[in-house]
Amino acid sequence: MITTATPEWLLQPEVALCPCGCIGRRRKANFVDKTLQNAGGLLLRTMFAEDAATRDGLLQRCDARAKLAGGAVLLLAAALVHDVRVLVVLYLLTLAVAVASKLGAKFFVQRVWLFVPLFTGIVVLPATLNVITPGRIVVPLGTWFGYHLGVTSQGASSAAVIVVRVATSISLVVLLTLTTRFADLLTGLRALRVPRLFVLVFSMAYRYVFVLLATVDDMYTARKARAVLDTRNTKRGRQFVAASAGALFGRAHALSDEVHHAMLARGFRGEARSLRVARVSANDVVVVLVAVVVSIVALGGDRVLR
Amino acid sequence: MHIPDGYLSPATCATFGGAMVPVWATAGRKVKRVVRSRYVPLVAIGAAYSFLVMMFNVPIPDGTTAHAVGAVLIACLLGPWAAVVAVSVALFIQALFFGDGGVLAYGANAFNMAFVMPFVGYGVYRLASRRLSLTSPRRALAAGMGAYVGLNAAALCAAIEFGVQPDLFRSANGTPLYAPFHLSQTVPTMLFAHLTVAGAVEAVLTFGVIAYLQRANVPILRINHRGVAETDAELTRAPLGWRWALIGIATMVVLTPLGLLAPGRAFGEDRARDLNAGKYGLRVVPAGLARYNGFWEHTVLRSYGFGAGSHPAVAYLLSAVVGIVAVSALVLGVYGLSRTLSRRNARELA
Repeated sequence: MITTATPEWLLQPEVALCPCGCIGRRRKANFVDKTLQNAGGLLLRTMFAEDAATRDGLLQRCDARAKLAGGAVLLLAAALVHDVRVLVVLYLLTLAVAVASKLGAKFFVQRVWLFVPLFTGIVVLPATLNVITPGRIVVPLGTWFGYHLGVTSQGASSAAVIVVRVATSISLVVLLTLTTRFADLLTGLRALRVPRLFVLVFSMAYRYVFVLLATVDDMYTARKARAVLDTRNTKRGRQFVAASAGALFGRAHALSDEVHHAMLARGFRGEARSLRVARVSANDVVVVLVAVVVSIVALGGDRVLR
Repeated sequence: MHIPDGYLSPATCATFGGAMVPVWATAGRKVKRVVRSRYVPLVAIGAAYSFLVMMFNVPIPDGTTAHAVGAVLIACLLGPWAAVVAVSVALFIQALFFGDGGVLAYGANAFNMAFVMPFVGYGVYRLASRRLSLTSPRRALAAGMGAYVGLNAAALCAAIEFGVQPDLFRSANGTPLYAPFHLSQTVPTMLFAHLTVAGAVEAVLTFGVIAYLQRANVPILRINHRGVAETDAELTRAPLGWRWALIGIATMVVLTPLGLLAPGRAFGEDRARDLNAGKYGLRVVPAGLARYNGFWEHTVLRSYGFGAGSHPAVAYLLSAVVGIVAVSALVLGVYGLSRTLSRRNARELA
């Protein structure tokens, strides 16, 4: 169970919104429930991330710019390493840092492995066979229609590398986003010479995702309240989805007009300005240096083991 | 279709990231020039909308649901350049905050879904909606068609990006270092999924939204359709131009020398003995083929060549010219004859 500073009753799943069907009769969620679940899940994850970022952990104490730069270096290193042992060590390192940052090992493992690395594992499973990756067969699977089938060592090691690499890359990104508050991340992006206009658009987009999300939630909750029976009329359902997406666009456009007027009233002339000046501290240098050293050791180890 | 980190080599990621830089720069400049200081709120809220469209669950007949990307929808509503920026920002939020799509692979994801998809889809939409009024039902169909083609183009790009990995990046003993499947496996798999379910969902949502806005909020459609007549009655029909037909034919004429590069021969085209029947498990040449092959020998440029077989390239091109002239003369003759006959009919009726 995820723990947050949000009141417990807000996080209690309702009968209709329970994803696993543990309350009441289990049934397949329809499109209304699923969209509501997605909207709720999005809010929950965001609230949790903001909560986690304010804890007193190792990475929370580091500056956003240093984490961004260090994370990028480590992501690149993980992409360049080809030995599964080195990747496993890198993954375990991220796990250790997650624990030191008070994210909880169990939660962190669940958050990372569900669902992309698991999905990747299933997808690359056929690639272990000699049909797709030819090589030395280590696990023969018999003869099928006159063709010798088996798991090759090349295929198995390739599959292992890709799964662990995907997990390590996701761990690095999750570490960054769970330990950094959104406002700090924006400052970090600005300090790393990302164009100011992009940062402004990005920050506004992120903020208005939640404003529009409330509209979506209202529309779908109203729809759910009006539906007495779960009729599963897919054609009407699709019409409703299209109409709600269309209505949402109308509202979004009206909102952008209002926001524009509000910005003009506050003196906006089409250029982004910021008052904060980014300064580099000794701590930031240490964080980046640690990331660079770990990357060099990983790449060196990869070369030695290869 | 969101590619996570680890599937593509850093070189591939860098290539696509580099390819997207001029696209983003151009998109930023173009959109800013059109909407000026409205740029920031319009694009930002467009991006937020794009992010949420990817969250809408569309019901499909088997009782499950699927979600759309919506890039072509945004291209139809705000124009393709605005779609590039909006979808790119939405993908960035997804990659950074929700782990959907990689950070290193961001350039490749943006290339597929924020560049190829809106441009291909919007191109199809524009072609299919020429000479249609703003509220014409066929315009909504054109948008659906564009969405279908755009999504499949993006899926094809993603499949190619995956598929080249094992050939380009493998270790000395043949271990693939990144995505392990070859082009021959990735392209059919990705296209099967997208040509059937995902493409249909994308088309249905895009069609549905445009059809809804045609009924409920036409001014919104005006944002990207200035000067388009609102109803069929207001439409001024220009005569169908010959230009496009001529451009198509001219392209084919320019491409004729490609035939010189084509290896081999068509299946038993010239002589029955060219037909390697044994290859197909046949013992004899079919009787009809043997009898009627070579039935007419009195040709000028036999097999698109001179009788002696000299100067094959010149003979091939000469054959092309003769063919084009002959076909054009025939078409013009039939056209002239039909014009004359219809004029005579009109006179007689008068």
